[in-house]
Amino acid sequence: MGYRDVAKIGVGGPVGSGKTALVEHLVPRLVDDGYEVGVIANDIMTQEDADVFRESFADVVPPELIEGVETGACPHTGIREDPSMNLAAVDEFTERHPGLDVVVIESGGDNLAATFNPELADYFLFVISVAEGEDIPRKRGPGVVQADLLVINKVDLAPYVDADLEVIEADTAAVREGAPFAFTDCKAGEGIDAVAERIEREVLFA
Amino acid sequence: MGSEPAAFLSALRLSDSFLPVGGYTASYGLEQYLNEGRLEDGEELRELLAAYLRRLVGPAETVALANANRASAAGDLEGILAVDERLHALTMPREFRESATKAGAKLCELFLEDGELDAAGVAFARRVADGETPGGYPVAFGVVARRQGVEPLEAALAHAHGFVTGLLGAAQRLGRFGHTEIQAILEALQPTIVAVCERHVDAEPAAMASFAPLAEIMGMRHERGERRLFVS
Repeated sequence: MGYRDVAKIGVGGPVGSGKTALVEHLVPRLVDDGYEVGVIANDIMTQEDADVFRESFADVVPPELIEGVETGACPHTGIREDPSMNLAAVDEFTERHPGLDVVVIESGGDNLAATFNPELADYFLFVISVAEGEDIPRKRGPGVVQADLLVINKVDLAPYVDADLEVIEADTAAVREGAPFAFTDCKAGEGIDAVAERIEREVLFA
Repeated sequence: MGSEPAAFLSALRLSDSFLPVGGYTASYGLEQYLNEGRLEDGEELRELLAAYLRRLVGPAETVALANANRASAAGDLEGILAVDERLHALTMPREFRESATKAGAKLCELFLEDGELDAAGVAFARRVADGETPGGYPVAFGVVARRQGVEPLEAALAHAHGFVTGLLGAAQRLGRFGHTEIQAILEALQPTIVAVCERHVDAEPAAMASFAPLAEIMGMRHERGERRLFVS
């Protein structure tokens, strides 16, 4: 067993877009559906971060299947050019849990150019927030364009930041050229079902 | 010196941070020096890296690398394993060992998959993968370099240069050092790189040692550091 024998889902996106909130919704749902799940978070900067992370999955994922991986202040390198430390962490999971079904790898917050190395993630989600600006999809960042699924989070904040969801939707459809995207409000748990169902269908049943 | 073009290119490849073995995640205690405000300027950074070279990279890692390179050339698997065991045993901070063995395992994996190792190298890489030997990075570097035709001194220079540029990159990402200042430090360290590699490249495995107590203490304190962006 090694990293090639387990499904790996990457979650990337800018700082504060809601990657962690999405992971906190997705992981319990995958566990509920009978999958054995491991979780890797990049760039947990303090022990306090690590403790918060382990607490949030305390009753869902065994502590040895939760790992923080440092990426030397280069979050994009850790998921793209040189994912070796993340792959080493996946290898450690599979050594201890040969029946592991899937590992969710959350990138450190990065810019719109961040993408996952295909040897690190079989499927990758890119999470942006409407609060980062209505024009984010229009910039055609590689993360926004190339992700298997684009998640547009914090739709509840749109009225407060002068973001028009119809404009965002039209721009996103144009830059994604038929590839899927989803609107979510991770705080309220809205839109999560559609994201989870798509992941299960496209990654775990594939 | 005066290597074949292919060996020269291999030495460049092995010393380049583009090599995907996670080297950019290691600071070997440097992050903790900066966390504790122990590096004020470029001069102090240069002095610190010179000390790493004289006390750790030269007498420990260069000796390990060169002996692994020679053992590999002789097809002497036991010789490689003995060097690996000794280097691991004298590396005190847990995170230094972790950075070195993870990068070493990835280097072995990379070249094993590409079919770029000789019989002793393959046997060593398999033992690393099976957890039967630590697989320290300098040892793996020496073995891989040998197969690429890179002689001990050139391999040692490539490794020491990679070590220095790795730590300079870490310093630049964590502290406030300009790119021209970093290059000036690298240039100023070149004579030290050459001197320590030439001094230690022919040493016997029994001479392998390191004495860098403050760096080791920084490495150990880093385990509980208030801020951690690096593995070590």
